[in-house]
Amino acid sequence: MVEELIENLRIASKRAGLDLSDDELERLFPGVNRARKQAAELRELIAAGDEPAAHFNVPGAARK
Amino acid sequence: MDPNLVCYLTIAEAAAALRRKEFSAVELTEALLKRIEALDGELHCFISLTADVALKHAKQAEEEIRSGTDRGPLHGIPIALKDLYATRGIRTTCHSAVLENWVPDHDATTVTKLRQAGTILLGKLGMHEFAFGGPSVDTPFPAVRNPWNTDHIPGGSSSGSGAALAAGFCYGALGSDTGGSIRTPSSHCGIVGIKPTYGRVSRYGVIPLSWSLDHAGPMARSVEDCAILLQAIAGYDSKDPASAHVAVPNFRSELKAGIKGLRVGVPRDHWFDENRGIDQETEKIFNQAIEVLRELGASVVEIDGKPFSLARKANQTILVCEAYAYHEKTYQETPMRFGSSVRRRMLEGAFLSAADYISAQRARAALNEQICANFARVDVFAMPGAPRPPEAFAKIDPNEQNLRPNFTNPFNLTGLPTISVPCGFTAGSLPTGLQIVAPAFDEPTCFRVAYAYEQATDWHHQRPAL
Repeated sequence: MVEELIENLRIASKRAGLDLSDDELERLFPGVNRARKQAAELRELIAAGDEPAAHFNVPGAARK
Repeated sequence: MDPNLVCYLTIAEAAAALRRKEFSAVELTEALLKRIEALDGELHCFISLTADVALKHAKQAEEEIRSGTDRGPLHGIPIALKDLYATRGIRTTCHSAVLENWVPDHDATTVTKLRQAGTILLGKLGMHEFAFGGPSVDTPFPAVRNPWNTDHIPGGSSSGSGAALAAGFCYGALGSDTGGSIRTPSSHCGIVGIKPTYGRVSRYGVIPLSWSLDHAGPMARSVEDCAILLQAIAGYDSKDPASAHVAVPNFRSELKAGIKGLRVGVPRDHWFDENRGIDQETEKIFNQAIEVLRELGASVVEIDGKPFSLARKANQTILVCEAYAYHEKTYQETPMRFGSSVRRRMLEGAFLSAADYISAQRARAALNEQICANFARVDVFAMPGAPRPPEAFAKIDPNEQNLRPNFTNPFNLTGLPTISVPCGFTAGSLPTGLQIVAPAFDEPTCFRVAYAYEQATDWHHQRPAL
């Protein structure tokens, strides 16, 4: 199971233009897993009307 | 005057003594350079010492003061900068092999402002590599040590700024704060640091970690000194897209107004999650600090800790995505130029999706509303500066770092002004800090509450044995 997930990580890393060794992928695995789980949990906090905190501001517009 | 006492004066005290001509700016600078030379070999606070430039500027300040030119309370005061502030003609490394030999052709806006205020730059300070990761063990520069106990971390990422102030190497410093990087070393080193409101201080020329979470701010040995430094660097800057068009108040005007009737909210009911909780000794010290606020006339209200707890997840998601986006090209081309700690943490951002990032920014908006709604019931929030005392270098577990409860990053997510002031020591003689959080652009309230607490206690007068 873990091997399969690390293989997925290897595929994703290639797609991201990264050349990571097996050792490095193994070391990354817990952190990436935690980051993905955390990102998924954040979706539960969002209501349909919530916009992102970051917005594009037209140049010249005052910001407060 | 005893050189050791001179090195530990506050900015306000040193400025007054310079004007009384008890000593000159050159003598002040020489005393600090001598102390740094004697003691920094063990602490590693400085990456680059700019002694020649410092002495040149000290002579200039001395002549100006003698001839009646007064640029204000920072005139002739030696300071130092975290090594991610661009300094024209002076190497700026971010504590990394990636920028090991980079000499900027421009100054950060804050650096320009500090020069105009008459400060004397002693040098550039060590940090966590690119303000990320943990204490750097495989970078070109050694990790900064805590002056209170060199086996322990000084906290980061503005580790050199915190340690240099605790060691009496400078009178003020600039740090930067994306998840607690001003307040954590302030807490761990027993000094004062303020993360101002997002947009209050220009980030132009400060090497980014995460654009939407980065804050620049001052660190010093007293609340008043932080107010003096913030006064010099605050204000709108067209070079920073996030800079706010908001009037800059006099940050010292309310210092002595007291806190009678102040309502303090404490988001205690999780402290925070992930089964790590708060260290018991840290909580005991925090409770004693809260009692002092009560004795000074404040009332204390428990508020819901849940949104503060959840803020960590949104903060971390946004941070790793933005950090990876900034470093992606360098990382793809020369990954081994980054230290292992940064490599591991930053790469998490490479494996999150655009939807993950946007969702975190949406959650940020929702959490911001929930956290700020508390200001209908209370005037400030109070929290420990860190959930536990500074760890020993030997006990750092990089895989556990992101699981810890985090008492600082909710205020990067919300952009609220937050100050950390010394509030006691553990049985092992390691400092702890008290955080005070005020509504957006209300730094004067942060200063007022922290000053009242500081003046009622003696923690800020304690010095490490070096």
